Parts: sequence; structure tokens; C-alpha cells
Amino acid sequence: MKASWDIFCTVVDNYGDIGVTWRLARQLVAEHGLAVRLWVDDLNAFVPLCPAADANAEQQWHEGVDVRHWPAAWSATSPAEVVVGAFACQLPPAYIEAMSAQATPPLWLNLEYLSAEDWVEGCHGLPSPQPNGLRKVFFFPGFTARTGGLLREASVLASRDSLQSAPKQRAEFLAGLGVQVAPGSRLLSLFAYENRQLGSWLQALAAGTQATHLLVPQGRILADLAAWLEVATLAPGALHQRGALTVQVVPFVSQGDYDKLLWACDFNAVRGEDSFVRAQWAAVPMLWHIYVQDENAHWEKLEAFLALYRQGLSDPASVALTALWRAWNIDGDMGQAWQALQPHWDELQTHAREWAVAQAAQPDLATALVHFCRNSL
Amino acid sequence: MKTGKEIKPGTVLRIDNDPWLVQKAEFTKSGRNSAIMKTKLKNLLTGYKTETVYGADDKLDDVILDRKEATLSFINGDTYTFMDTTDYTMYELNAEDIEAVLPYIEEGMTDICEAVFFEERLVSVELPTTISRKVVYTENSARGDTSGKVMKPAKLSNGTEVQVADFIEIDEMIDIDTRDGSFKGRSKK
Repeated sequence: MKASWDIFCTVVDNYGDIGVTWRLARQLVAEHGLAVRLWVDDLNAFVPLCPAADANAEQQWHEGVDVRHWPAAWSATSPAEVVVGAFACQLPPAYIEAMSAQATPPLWLNLEYLSAEDWVEGCHGLPSPQPNGLRKVFFFPGFTARTGGLLREASVLASRDSLQSAPKQRAEFLAGLGVQVAPGSRLLSLFAYENRQLGSWLQALAAGTQATHLLVPQGRILADLAAWLEVATLAPGALHQRGALTVQVVPFVSQGDYDKLLWACDFNAVRGEDSFVRAQWAAVPMLWHIYVQDENAHWEKLEAFLALYRQGLSDPASVALTALWRAWNIDGDMGQAWQALQPHWDELQTHAREWAVAQAAQPDLATALVHFCRNSL
Repeated sequence: MKTGKEIKPGTVLRIDNDPWLVQKAEFTKSGRNSAIMKTKLKNLLTGYKTETVYGADDKLDDVILDRKEATLSFINGDTYTFMDTTDYTMYELNAEDIEAVLPYIEEGMTDICEAVFFEERLVSVELPTTISRKVVYTENSARGDTSGKVMKPAKLSNGTEVQVADFIEIDEMIDIDTRDGSFKGRSKK
């Protein structure tokens, strides 16, 4: 009999929460043979990631995952053997009571946010003993051996290599999105929160000598993009030319297709947590728009990741990369930072691949979770 | 009942019916404006120690403790002796039990502390939120900054290093927030 897992996901905003939990649930089913229920409080956020899903269904099956609507009024449910609360979400009190009433109470894991900060290593895997006797453990994803690792499916790197080494396959995928890239044009993707620095970056791209084709999936950055283009609205398929820059809006695609989009591009601007990790597996240079936190707590997280990611880069490339990321996140001049990055393009490409190889040498998050649970149960 | 973010050194939590003293508590912002509290706990019945993590909003059972005013009497190695200010009873604690406030404890200090008792046994001591300490060493002002925004390291008489405003000089008394070790300003007293 398959071991049973319940994963709880509260959709706070955007697609990070559901993006990570949906990937995790699928991988646990496909690669570890587990029976997984994914409880989601807002299925409207799930549908764009899994277009076959029904936002109104109480229960539905997708890729072997039992996807359940997490209702405000909780109905009695037998707990699974392992319970994962994603991103500090509060489990239904009745479910917690049911957990503590089990003859063998479940192992309760709090899957935390991704951070490269030093303190993560000291907190990963620590217990959080509950007043009711339940065993709860904090599990932290991360970039070092003393963390839980990153979500990485077994086939993702081979699939990436296949697409990146086959121009025809790449062109066919892009054509499916309505994208035709002119020969010699550099292909970029842009997935970001609202950003005041977008204009100065696009200006630099438009004024550059290098032809650039920028793909922009539907999302929060479109209003800023429309303002820069001086158009009223932007919908999938919209195509605009400004100097050396071609801007194209593409549909919000499934996770699998978004991976391919990242693999097909020469540079990816990503945001939050899920697309940030996927861009690392794409093994091409990237730019991260970090989720803004109160009191600018995100600045330390940005710097912590940069401190890790920069290792192995030459000083000039490291300075240029840091300046670009800071400009994008701390309101600097993106145009200037982008120009300064160009002489280091080849080095950044090599570095992105080396970074992906180094990260892939560590156990992936799903496997780490499974091993941890097997050792704990 | 306390939440994770309300835990502080000296708090005693009841977990599985056992009393656990919080010896150290570190608050960290994790992601998306949530936060965690990493703690070092000591079981008051068995002496067993462990590290734990709680979410800022986790609900935990705390034990109501007795508190009395006390002052530091003397230090002997790792043993710290405090005296009840009303009946002059002497109580001993080892360094581990007061790890969180240790950086601010020094011979001769006159701060009125709160001695924390669990079932008539002293388990911890809490310092006032603001304490005054003498700077025994710091570099001269590098930039002549008087705004208080530029900081530099300074050493207290017990060897603790804190960050102080650039205008602070050797032998000056400064106010320190014992919750996070931050510099609050030049002492007024």
C-alpha cells in the first residue's frame, strides 16, 4: 500500500504557493510512488498552472495527484501518514485534532520558504514540538548541502538539454506560442512584479546594437510594459517593435511549457520562488525579481543569494551581475546596469551552466523530504 | 498561551506536560512576511536540551512563573549569584541558563533584574529592557558623523562588542536594548 501524504496550500497571492506545491505533489507521485492529496484553498490560482483543472471541483485527479478544494468549513477527514503545511499555512484545527487522535500520529512537516541566508542551515530539520504532542518539523529548501535542496524532477535536466541542443525542437516549441525569432536575435523572457525600472531596461534594449526578442507571459508586469510601449492594453499575441527590441506577449502557460520557455531563451527574468528555481535549471543567465517584504527584509535575502551565486565569477562579471540585480530590485538604473553586463555575457552563460550542475549534484527537495520521512516514521 | 513570536529567554513552555525553559530565542523573517523563532530549550525536569523552531503565529502553552526582583551579587567562573532584593536570599544560576543576557552581565552592575522561578526554583533572570553600560574601547570617530546613523563597534567592560553611533567615545555611558543588543543612545544618567 502506498504511503499517504497530505499537502496543504494556502494561496496568499500570485502563483508561488500553488506552483511549488503542485510540482512537489506531482513529483512525489511520479517518482516516489506516494498517494498524495493536495489541498488548495483557491483553485482559481491552480487552473492557469494546470489548464485541465476545474476551479469549482471539490475533488479531481491530475497526473496522479488527488487535488482537493480546501473549504473554509472543513469536513472531517482522516489524516495522511505525512502532512505537509506549505509556507507556514495554518492547518484546519479539526484536522490537527484528528492528527493528534491517531494511534500513530502523522509526521507534520512545515515546508518553509526558500532562502540562501546562513540561518537556514541552522534551522533546517529542527523539531517544533507541539503542546498536543504532535511531531512537527521545519523543513527548509535551500542551495547548500545542509538544507533540503531544490525541487528538481529526475528528467528535467535531460529534457532541457534535449531542447537546447535541438534548434528545430526549440523553434517548434516557440512556434506553438506564436513566436518566430529572427536569426541572430537574442531571446529573453520577462516574468516580474510591477517594476519602475522596466522602462530604462527596455530603452537600453531598444537602443542597443544587438537585436532582442522579449517574450512576456501574461502577468503583473504588463501594465508597466503597456505604459512604456504607449499602448492601452496588451493581450497574448501582441507584438511591438521599438528599435532593436521586439516585444511579444505570450499566454500564461502550464508549468511544463514554462520550463521549455525558460530553456528556449538566452536570458530569463523571473520572480518569487517557483520561476526563480526553474530559471536556475534552465542554465542560462537570469535576473531575479524578489518578493518585497516589510522593512526591506528581502534585501538581505537577495544579497545572500548573490553571495552564493557569484562564487566562481571573475570580479568584473560579479560586479556587473550584482549591479543589475540590485538595480532591478532596489530601483537603480537598469539601462546602465544592462549595458555594463554585456561584456560578461559569455562568462555568465558558462557560470549559469556550472551553477545548475553544482545544484543538481545535491539531492532534490522531494527526495530529501521522502528520505527524511522514512527515517523519521 | 503564547505565540511563537512572543517567546523570549526565560519563558517556560509546557510541552507534553514537561516544563521547558527557553534559554535562547532568535527571531528571523523567513519569507513572504512570515517569521520563525529558533529557540534553545532546556527540560527543567531532566536537564535535556534541544533546539526547536516555531512559526511566529504558532500557539504554545506557557507556564505562569513567579518573578522577584534581584540584583547580581557576584560571579564565580560560570556561576552567577543573584540576590533577592527583598529578603536577601541568594540564588545561583549557571551561564547556560542566562545565555541570552550574558553579554550584558558584568561585575558590579546594579540593574534591578527579574528572577524567574518555576516551582520555587530559580530558572532564569531577565534584565531590564534598557541598560546603561560603559564603553571601554572604541575607535575615534571616522567621519565626524553626529547623526547617529553611522555605526562602529565598541567594547564593554565584560568584553561584549556592540555597535554604537560614530560619535560615542571611550568612557562614555551608553543605553543598550537587551532584547536585541541594539544601541539606543548616550545614557542620560
